[in-house]
Amino acid sequence: MILGIISSLLWWAVVIFIIVKLVSGGRRKHYSWLQRELSLWEEKNIINKEQGDAVLSLYKLKRVTARKKMDMVKVLTLIGVIFVGLGVIFFVGSNWQRIPSHARTTMLLAITIATLYAGYIFSYEKEGFVNLGKSLLLLASLFWGGTIALIGQIYNIPTSENWYIMLLWAFPIVPIAVLFKNNYVHILASILFVIWNFLYSSSNNIANYYYPIFIFLLMLPTAKNLISSRRINIIGLVSASLYCCFNKYEWLALLISAGLLACYLVQKEERVYLYTACLSFIFWDIAYFTVRQLQPNLYFLLPLGFMLYLTYKDNIEKNLVFCLAGLMIGINLALSSVSQMLNYPFNGLQFTIFQSLLGISIYSAGIVSRNRGYLFPVIYKIFGYLVTFICVYLLAFKALLGEWAGAVNNVYLFGSLILAGIIALVAVDIVRSGNFKNKSNRIELAALIVALIGSLILLLSPRTVLLNTITMNSVLVVFALSSIFLGVELKKPPIFTLGIVIFVLFIITRYIDVTWKLKEKSLFFIVGGLVILFLGTFLEKQRRKIIERMKSE
Amino acid sequence: MNKKLIFIAVSFLWIAVAVGLIISKQHIIRTGRTVLLETVPVDPRDFLRGDYVILRYKISTLDLQQIQSEKSYYRRGKRVYVKLEPRERFWEAAAVKTKIPVSDNGVYIKAKVKYSYNKKLELNYGIESYFVPEGEGKDIEKNMRGNKSSVEVEVLVDKSGNAIIKKVFAQ
Repeated sequence: MILGIISSLLWWAVVIFIIVKLVSGGRRKHYSWLQRELSLWEEKNIINKEQGDAVLSLYKLKRVTARKKMDMVKVLTLIGVIFVGLGVIFFVGSNWQRIPSHARTTMLLAITIATLYAGYIFSYEKEGFVNLGKSLLLLASLFWGGTIALIGQIYNIPTSENWYIMLLWAFPIVPIAVLFKNNYVHILASILFVIWNFLYSSSNNIANYYYPIFIFLLMLPTAKNLISSRRINIIGLVSASLYCCFNKYEWLALLISAGLLACYLVQKEERVYLYTACLSFIFWDIAYFTVRQLQPNLYFLLPLGFMLYLTYKDNIEKNLVFCLAGLMIGINLALSSVSQMLNYPFNGLQFTIFQSLLGISIYSAGIVSRNRGYLFPVIYKIFGYLVTFICVYLLAFKALLGEWAGAVNNVYLFGSLILAGIIALVAVDIVRSGNFKNKSNRIELAALIVALIGSLILLLSPRTVLLNTITMNSVLVVFALSSIFLGVELKKPPIFTLGIVIFVLFIITRYIDVTWKLKEKSLFFIVGGLVILFLGTFLEKQRRKIIERMKSE
Repeated sequence: MNKKLIFIAVSFLWIAVAVGLIISKQHIIRTGRTVLLETVPVDPRDFLRGDYVILRYKISTLDLQQIQSEKSYYRRGKRVYVKLEPRERFWEAAAVKTKIPVSDNGVYIKAKVKYSYNKKLELNYGIESYFVPEGEGKDIEKNMRGNKSSVEVEVLVDKSGNAIIKKVFAQ
């Protein structure tokens, strides 16, 4: 059950993250275009630097420096080096027996040191060969790995101790990466440390606390100007934190989260630290749940509250997505703990209704934020809309409704009722505060109330499968229609298109739902295909017409 | 910082690490006592992976009801020491301890618990891989298939329980 909950929660988080990323992706593309073009306009004296700065500050953008063009010689040298390095490693791997083992080791070690020397000479002694020198230092680091692997092979060090080989490879190349400031070797060392971490944990079955300490204290501070290496280390930390969820290493996850948060507080311009800290705290919460299943993690509120505070204080829109995902996961894990404590079984129907109500609550928070002029109303609305839509879509399947209606779980039941009460109060407040007068607000509120009523019907009468199916399908249609009307009303093509997409999805799903049981599958596909063709063409034509009209108005 | 100095320091570090690793293994070879271990057949799908052979020993699985043991259950990843005693042709497990007793002069081999269930213990000794020249693993593989394995492994064990493969006999 726990794994089921974890995987479903993770699934939610990932889906929501990807969708919101997609939504914001388009705008980012325009921004980066603008950032690039501004430099060109300034160069051609079309605008001056002050005007350029004014444009950048309008969109809250930073000035970007032009990217260095890829040097062909550099690329070829690097590829050549990697090939030679891999060749030597394969050569060692193929157990070349004609030379005695110790002579082989000595030979390889001598080649390694000689390459290191050549790297040093070309980097610092001879002028004009910096790239070759850098590549040779990488080659020496690869040879070093080959040497260690060869010694491991001679003494038959088993695969279960590969972590140890990896460590002996990675640590001694760190001075090259840091003191010679070689970004290739820095990247190589970072990758080796990620592999070492996982091999160490899986071979010894213990949490690897050394990994985050080493990354936070040495690798990240020295990767300040090395974007790729920093990214690898951050990905390594987040994946180590994710690994904690499945291995009950709650303290390690907490350490990584706190470290990432500290990195953000030190380097505020690096927002990625805040996103990953938030994600890592979510993993910590899940790991905590897997360790102490009967104990709700109330401590999670502290980092979550702090993250939310930073999101608003530093005006970081995207992080709200992580905070909201964290909030949902945190609430669900806490309710699961309480359910287990009181011996209530898991009930899929109540669980999904609860998520739907959470989605509606988040959407309502968006409406309140907009009405009162707070930050990020759109994020709340997109997030809430997606969550509610996914739940309603799932609940519109008759088969699932019948299957999921199990023994009552009072924890989720009361949780849902409390949420429903809060939503009702917010709705009353919206009406009373006079924000109900314009048409678009009325459409939005009506859809919200319909979704709320639909969820309540399901919650209070879970056994009436037919009635519930009709109810949820009606809610889905209301969702589609309200989006279409709202899109037209606000003259926003994306909202209008969303409505059409929901409508088409509804038709296709119901068609499959009803006709899949038919024995004649060929008929199912032919009729289905024709319906999709005609309906699709018709709707697409209408959609384009309306969008054209919107644009011309 | 002087770059030349860095180069010299790194060279020394690399040589020291490589030599240190060799010395630690050579120490086992120099001071270790030779024991002959019996192998058991392994699943042929997992047996030969590239250029090394996976070995499984009779002492890899221990029945804690039949040998002396401090506990009936050991945590996964726990380090233990298995006392080996010569019985007829091969050396076999006689006891499982969490530390090597100071007064005991017997052969103790270091192991890590893979898992423990129903008073049975699955162990890893760090001698489960044997690297072979390309293509030569097939001979050993042939001798390890079926119900009984005829592969014998000579292992050196030092005083601290570290083990290293000396020779593999495939008859």
